[in-house]
Order: sequence, then structure tokens, then C-alpha cells
Amino acid sequence: MTNLQRLLLASAMAIGPVVPAAHASDLVVGFTLDADTLDPANHRKRETETIIRNLYDGLLTRDANMVVVPEIAESMTQVSPTVYDFKIRSGILFHDGTPMTAEDVKFSLDRVTVEGAMGNGQTSPRQSLMGPVASVEVVDGDTVRITLKEPWPILPAMLPNQQIVSKAFVERVGSEGISTEENGTGPFRLVEWRKGESIIMERFTEYYGGATDIPPVGPACVDRVIFKFIPESASRVAALLAGDVQIINELPAFSVAQVNANAGTHVMTVNGTRSFFVAMNLEGEYFDDPLVRQAAAHAIDKNLLIDKILGGNAASIDGILSPDAFGASDLPVYGYDPEMAKKLLADAGFPNGIDIVMDTEGAFKDTAEAIASLLTKVGIRTTVAVGESAQLTAKWRLQGKEPKTGDMYFSSWGNGSLDPFDIFTPTHRTNDRGNSAGYSNPAVDALLDAAATELDVEKRAGMYREAELIINADLPYLYLWVPQDIYGVSDRLSGWQPSADSRINLHDACLN
Amino acid sequence: MSLGKLIERLLQLVPVLLGVSLIVFVMMALTPGDPVQIMIGDQNITPEQEQALRHGLGLDRPIVERFFVFIGNALQGDFGQSFYHRRPVADVIVERLPATIELSLVALIVALVTAIPLGVLAAIRKNSIFDKLATVGSLLGVSLPGFWFGILLIMLFAVQWHILPVSGRIGYSSEIETITGFLLIDTLLRGNLPAFWDAVKHILLPAITLGLPMTAILMRVTRTSMLEVLRQDYVTFADAKGLSRTRVLFRHALKNALIPTVSVAAIETGSLLGGNMIVETVFGWPGLGRLVVESIFLRNYPLVQAAVLLYAVIYVGLNFFADILYTVLNPRVKL
Amino acid sequence: MATANPAADTIFRRNLASFMGNRLAMAAAVVVVLFVVMAIFAPWIAPQNPYETDLFRRLQPPAWVEGGEWGFLLGCDALGRDIFSRIIYGARISIFVGVTVIVLATGIGIIAGLAAGYLRGWVDVIISRIVDILLGFPYLIFAIGLMAMMGPGLGNIILALAYKEWVIPARVVRGETLAVRELEYVEAARALGASPRHIMLREILPNILSPVVVVSTIRMANVIILEASLSFLGLGVQPPMASWGSMVSDGRAFILEAWWVSTFPGLAILLLVLAINVASQGLRDAFDPRFHE
Repeated sequence: MTNLQRLLLASAMAIGPVVPAAHASDLVVGFTLDADTLDPANHRKRETETIIRNLYDGLLTRDANMVVVPEIAESMTQVSPTVYDFKIRSGILFHDGTPMTAEDVKFSLDRVTVEGAMGNGQTSPRQSLMGPVASVEVVDGDTVRITLKEPWPILPAMLPNQQIVSKAFVERVGSEGISTEENGTGPFRLVEWRKGESIIMERFTEYYGGATDIPPVGPACVDRVIFKFIPESASRVAALLAGDVQIINELPAFSVAQVNANAGTHVMTVNGTRSFFVAMNLEGEYFDDPLVRQAAAHAIDKNLLIDKILGGNAASIDGILSPDAFGASDLPVYGYDPEMAKKLLADAGFPNGIDIVMDTEGAFKDTAEAIASLLTKVGIRTTVAVGESAQLTAKWRLQGKEPKTGDMYFSSWGNGSLDPFDIFTPTHRTNDRGNSAGYSNPAVDALLDAAATELDVEKRAGMYREAELIINADLPYLYLWVPQDIYGVSDRLSGWQPSADSRINLHDACLN
Repeated sequence: MSLGKLIERLLQLVPVLLGVSLIVFVMMALTPGDPVQIMIGDQNITPEQEQALRHGLGLDRPIVERFFVFIGNALQGDFGQSFYHRRPVADVIVERLPATIELSLVALIVALVTAIPLGVLAAIRKNSIFDKLATVGSLLGVSLPGFWFGILLIMLFAVQWHILPVSGRIGYSSEIETITGFLLIDTLLRGNLPAFWDAVKHILLPAITLGLPMTAILMRVTRTSMLEVLRQDYVTFADAKGLSRTRVLFRHALKNALIPTVSVAAIETGSLLGGNMIVETVFGWPGLGRLVVESIFLRNYPLVQAAVLLYAVIYVGLNFFADILYTVLNPRVKL
Repeated sequence: MATANPAADTIFRRNLASFMGNRLAMAAAVVVVLFVVMAIFAPWIAPQNPYETDLFRRLQPPAWVEGGEWGFLLGCDALGRDIFSRIIYGARISIFVGVTVIVLATGIGIIAGLAAGYLRGWVDVIISRIVDILLGFPYLIFAIGLMAMMGPGLGNIILALAYKEWVIPARVVRGETLAVRELEYVEAARALGASPRHIMLREILPNILSPVVVVSTIRMANVIILEASLSFLGLGVQPPMASWGSMVSDGRAFILEAWWVSTFPGLAILLLVLAINVASQGLRDAFDPRFHE
């Protein structure tokens, strides 16, 4: 080492503490929303879970291709249709250095599943994500047994949604404390949460390594991870282009070309899990007639819309399920055919067309207006009415409690688990939560109910295929597309891949 | 001002706060949308599970009962839990409040520092080109839609020229240790100049966007009151006595002319605090305004309720402050 | 205006002449009139159908930029609609909302202010309390809450803004009424046995109208910005109508790729609001006696 180098090093060390320069490898994510809370059991937001998932690990997790693999659990055994055993890995430490045990697992799952377990008479808002869990018990030291009230084959697919907390820690700080502090077993530990601004995390050096099925196993690659909250999409893109952040989520489709053209950044996509559709009010004066619904289906040029508005980043669907979902199949297509649409409308008794209103949320105004103008061209003269999401759910998701008003509702339903149970049942079962069309078909109800508890995988997929064929023919909704999730990333980033459940797990991400 | 008057003013606060609470409650009761449904989103839930959740949030009780429970708890300083943050709303609001106040104060300072000299100059050089330009400029200031102007500033300063950051309150790499919650003050107290500079760069554009209309208003007020003061006998008299013009201006005229400016500034600060959700949205500023708007959309009743009460208290307080200022600085006025 | 006595009439004429002599204010008034004309005759002025979507023109740039066309002067939005035509139609909304809210608010404000200021007593107490309570609400938050309650739509925007806006003229009218109610001519009318209604509407109102009109025009500029702000937050008018505020809002996501989508509607707001402000400044200088120099 020359004197000059020594001098430089010395002065670098001298100013080191004064200049809080970025660490050697700080990975910054330009993210849409702040976490509501850091308590894994006390929220219902995907964005919150994305952040928490870097601090906490679960019994099971998903890899980037949505395959469920053990994480804190070493293995899973299905003892009977309603009993699952999970053997817990040994040697896992919480961030405060205490070892994690099967008791912590039971405690964490009880907090979610037992009514009133959050304290103050409150029940975890995540309870319904755990389905019909009857009890969680520790059997012989390192095994946790989950018992169900009835068979629920998607338990393994839903378990990655729950993370394991430290019993001692929660008992010490309480439900309020754990909402702003953390003591997880995840790859990163919390440094600072600047509310509404950023969350700063650093590598947890004693990390057990994470799921063995998702290499590399070991402590995280980057020193620190920062989620910086930038709600405006243009600002997020600008931050990426300027090199301030290395990953951004919800990149708008029209910015794809710009991000790809910019030196040092590119776009990554993954098939999403949210199905978009237009609900038609089957109790209404026009859409009770299948001919009118078919006319609407033939009026929509889905390929044009996907190409122009979504920049080609979406998969067309002809039933409710994403092509990637369990039980999805090829279905008959209602092709774009305006002449046929006009004819069907005339056959239905409306040769002069009809005037209708399509409700939608502000975020989808553009798309809804594009659809409306296509419908208008065949005589279904459509005006778009933009409402707030809370108002619209109150109007359309009535669960059969009162008669439905309105004509059409451009909406969507997410399906993070890619299991039909989460999307098919709520949107199509008679009077279910998300059945905004008011659809009711006993045959479909029977298939959905049977499939919910069917344990034979092949049989279950068959049931969903059959149900899809029925709804494709009945057409309570105009099934549109499943958009891709688009991320903008820096070329310096490696070891990270977007995941269909919209999580951003940064354990394996590196910066060059 | 006598103590009696003071107590009377404080007592007037009571019906205002009660009325504000009642209006918010009635509005929320009449607003469609169910917080539980919003929270659950796109998932299955059984009626029992839904009921358990509703019970935990206290939403299964009748609205009238909820109102009285709210008032009773609020009197003891308990404003309930935020449905989404699952923490006391008071905590959530207190976390966001410093950002909003800091932004408003900096906007106020920006406004005062530019408005007073411009207003005084415009008054002294009445009807000159400068006066006319300042008048048009100030009208331009009040006419700028903040949401649009903010976007333009970001485009120019952050995206095109890379001089200032795109959004947020401070860079993640700046260390902050909270003392007062105001980043500009905390970083200075800690002697962390790079972090201070970082915070300044972040606050500049939003403060200008927010402060510009106020600059315009304050400039007009300063100009008008300065003109009025300059016409007063004592100024003419001082002139006649041969005191230097500058001395007259700054010793006597300015002091009196600033009374209306300061009291208007105090009142306008109230609307600044309650009106910055647009600027906060555009600049990704982690303040209270944005949170309240989000909370209205998410039907997060306790948070909206508490925040609106806080705004009302601030508003009444600032008006009170303006009144006192008026009496203290201007002994001719009796309250 | 004031026809109660001939003196008021000459004052009005003199004030009007003074206003007309203010070249800047006159120019601004002309701009405002041009905007109004543009709004009324929008269908004849707009070069394109503002609602006609054409996805093949998505985000087409303004005419003078490469890829633009003179038929689409200011470029196209995300659905390929002509921005220039949409701005022309958008003037209808801004002006309609501005005028309706101000007329409604001023009407209510005058009645409430007169009643409070002239009748005093419990009427004054009640009205003043309501005014205090409404002033305690931040304007925009109150309007957002009302929009959430009533749902979107042009009529609801007007209501949401008028609900609070009337407080401002009400305060002005109350203050002015308190000042004139003890004046001789009012006393005289009272002595002659005129009904309170007659005194309020025929004696007091004409003499306090100038400051009210001045305040109302200044507030109109403000109301237009508030409407745009509500639209910007997504609580505006319904499609296919286009408010300038919602056009700015729609365009902000595209600002990096297509700056024209939100820049031009924003300029339109600025221009109209500035013109109203300059004109009302002129009105104030001419009509409000306190500003006579």
C-alpha cells in the first residue's frame, strides 16, 4: 500500500461517520405503499405482506414460480384429510438471538385463527385466510399439528400467507408494540421505519438460510434493503431512471419502452393473478337476456385493448381463471365480431340499441372508457360512471341482501394463491361476497362446493374445468384478461425474479 | 385582554368541536361503504369470521352509541384505534403531523420572506412598473393550481436537471435521530449538515408549491397596509421633521404595516395545514393530509374523526393567536 | 344593481368607468368572456369530437412535435382523444361549477348574513355557530368527505363546494350589515314601520352589495381551482365529460412519456383563473370604497 493510498484510506475513515454515505450494497425498492403495520397477523394488504415477508419467514413459502415449499418447517405430512403435521427446523434464531421453537409456531397461528386472540376482543383480520382451522397443537417437541374442521385442500397454498412471530416478544411488547417493532426470523432485520417515507432493513447475519428448495441458502446477499415509498407512478419511474432505486413495482405498461431504452435499466414481468372482467347485472332489465350478454362479448376487441392499453402485457381469459391457475383450461372464445353483436342485440329485441351505464373505479377509467366506446359502436351505448371503490362494492357486492341496481361493473378479483377456491367461489357462487353479477346456477354452486373439499387433485381440477365451461356459456361476466405485473429493475440487480403473488423477496437479490 | 375574555373564547371552542364531531359522524354514517368489506378485499370469509372482525372494530354497535362512546373516550384523550394500522389513531397522527407542520412552516417562511419585501417595495414605488409587475406576479401566484405546478416543478428540477429529489422527505442514507420530529431542526441539532442539506433539498419544491399562493396573498396585504400606514399623519409628520425616509419606513411604518400581514399569515397557515394533501400527494410527502384523504377512501372512521378534530383545534387556535397578535401589536384594538 | 336611490346609480356608473379605465383588468375581462364564449359554443369551436376515442392515436404528440398532426393541435390523450377539443369542452365544467357554486353560495350567504346581522339575537347566535363550525373544517377535506358520501357527479361537486362556500359571503354580509343597520336611513325606514324583510332586502342589501360582488368574483377563481383539485383526486365529474383537473390527473402518470396530456389542461386552468383574479382585482379597486385612493 502506498502512502497516498494509506492517506486516502485514513481520510475516508475519518469522514466515514460524518458522511452517512450509502452502504456498499444498499438495495432500494421504489414501492407504491407504506406498510399499515409490521404485525404479520394484523393486516390485510398485499403491500404490507411484501414488506413483512423480508423480516419474517413462514412455515411454508412460495418460490418465484409459485411452487409451495417448506421454509421454517422442515417437512409437511398430511396425516388425514383434516390433519397436517409440520416438523419444525432446528437452529432457527429470532433477530434478538433467541431460538425459535414449535411453541412460537403454535402461538403465531393461534393469534391468527382463534377468535379474540389479538387482545381487546379483537380477532385477526387474517383469520379467514386460514379457512376452517380447528386447532393448532405442538406434538412431541418439534412437530406442529394443524387440525381442520373439514377437509380444505388449499391449506398448504394458503400457509405462506402467515409468518411466525416470537411468543416471548409479543407477550412482552403486546399487539401494539409488535405493530411497529419486529422480531422475526427473516433474512433482514428492521433498522428504522420512517412512516410514510421508507423502511430500512439490514442483513440478519445469523439467518438460518431460508427454504432449502430455493437456493442459494444462507444470509442475504445485500447489506441493506430499503423500501422507499413513492406512490406516484411517474415519480417511481423517474427514480429508477435516475438510478436512485434498483427495483420498482407497478411499472405502468406505457413506460416499458422507456425503461428498456434507458441505459442501465430493464423491465421484468411475471404473469399476474388478478382477473379483470365486466360484471353484467343479471337482475337488470337488459342483461338478464343471454343474447344481450353475448352481443356485448362479441363487441369487445380484447386483443386491441390488450395491445394498446396494456402494452401487450396481459393474457386473455374466457373464464374467471388465469391460465396459470389450478384447474384452468382452454375455453370457447367469443371472438370480436361487431356484426354478430349487432345481430344478437336485434335478436334480443333491441334493434335500435340500448343505453347503459358502466361503473368503475377511477384507476380503471381509461380502460373502461375504451371498452365503453367499443360497446357503443355495436349499439350498446355505454357511459362510464366512475365511483370510489368503497361506494361501488357497497352497490354491487350485495350478497343477495337487496335487489341490485346498475347495468355493468368493470372490476377485478385477485387470486394470489392461484387456487380457484379464492376467486371462483366468491365471484360465482350464489350470493357470495364477490358475485357482483348476481349469478346463480345450482350446478355451478354444487361443483364449487364439492371442489372446495375434494382431496383428489385430478378430480378437483376436473370439477373446476366443468364449472368454467358452464360459466363460459352462461356468461354472467365479460371475462377480459389477467395483466402481467411489470417491474422496472436496474441492470446491476441479479438473483431476483418477480413473483406472481406480487411479493418482493430480497433474500437472494444481489447488486453488482 | 382580560382573563374573562380568554375563558369566553375557550368556551366558544366547545360547541365548535362538538359540532365538528357530530357532522363528521353523521357524514360517515351516511357514507356508503363498509370498512370490513374493504379490509377483506378479494377473499373468502365466513359470516362468523366477518362478525368477529366487525366486533373487534366496534362496528357492530349502533351508530348513536358509537358517537357517545367516541365523545366520552375523546374527553379522556382516547381517540380509538385506526382500523388499518391497528394502533391508537393518536399515535398514527402524531407520527405524520411533524411532516405536515414542517412543510407548512417552511412554506410560510418562504412566503413571508418573499412577500414582505416585495409588498413594501410595491407600496413605496406605487404605480411604478415594479408595482404592476408585482401585482400581476402575485395574481399569477394565487392562480396556479398546485397539483399542476408541482408536477411541472418535479419534471424540470428532478427529472430534467437532476438538481432536486423526485419525492419524499429525506434520503434513506441520511441518518436521523428524532428530537423534535422536524427534520430540518433535528439534523441541525445533531450537527449533521449533509442530512440537513438533504432535507432542505427535499422540502424545497413542495414548500414553494404550497407557499406560492400564500406569498401572493401576503404580498397584497403588505402592500395595502403599507400604503395605508404611509398615509397616516405620523409618517407624514416624521417626514416633515426631516427624519430619513428609510428610517421612517423601517422604524415606524413597517412595524405597523406588518400587523395585518402577520395576522393574515396566522389565519392562512390554518388553511395551509388543512389544504396540503394535494401537495403531499404529488411530492410523496409523508404528511397527515394524504393520510386523512386515504382514510376517507378506506372508511377509516376513527382516524378521520380525530384528524378533523385536530384541524378544527388548530384552526381555532390560529385565529385566536391572530386576535391576540392584533391586540398586542396594535393597542388601539380592544377585543 | 342598487336602484334604491339615484345617488347609488351615479356611483355605480363612476365605478364602472373606473373599471373600464383599468386596461389590465379590461384585458382580463375580455379573456374571461372569451372563455365563456368558448364554453357556450364548444360544439362549433372544437375541431374534433372530444369523446371520440381512437386507440391508434394514443398519446399522439402536439402538432408541432414530430408525429403530431395539425388536426390534433395539442396532441391526444391515452385514449386518442383530441386534447384541444377536450380543453374547449372542459371550460364548460369549470365555468359552470364556478358560477353555480358562487351564485348558490352568495344567495345563501346573503340571506344568512342579513338575518344574522340585522335580526341579531338567537338567529345570529345559531348562524354564527354554524359558520364557526364549518370554518373549523379544512375546505378540501370537507368536500372530499361530502363527495364520498354523495357519490361523484357534477351536481354533487357543486353541492360539496357550496356547503361550505356560503360561509364566506355570509360573514362579509353580516359584518357589513352590522355596520349599516344603525345608519340613519335604516333607522328612518324602521321608524316609518317598514317590515324587517323590506329593510333587509330593500334598504340594507343594495348598499352592501359592492363588497359582496367583489368577494364573490375573487372566490369564483378559488372555486374553480377547488373543483379542479377534487377532480385531480378522482372525485370529479363523470366521463365522458372532461374537467381540466381530471385531465391533469389522468396525464400525470404519462408525464415522462407524454408531457402534453397534463400540461395543457393545467395551463387552461391557470389562464382562466388568472383572468378572473385580475378582473376581480380591477373590480375591487373600482367598486369597493375602502380601496378608493
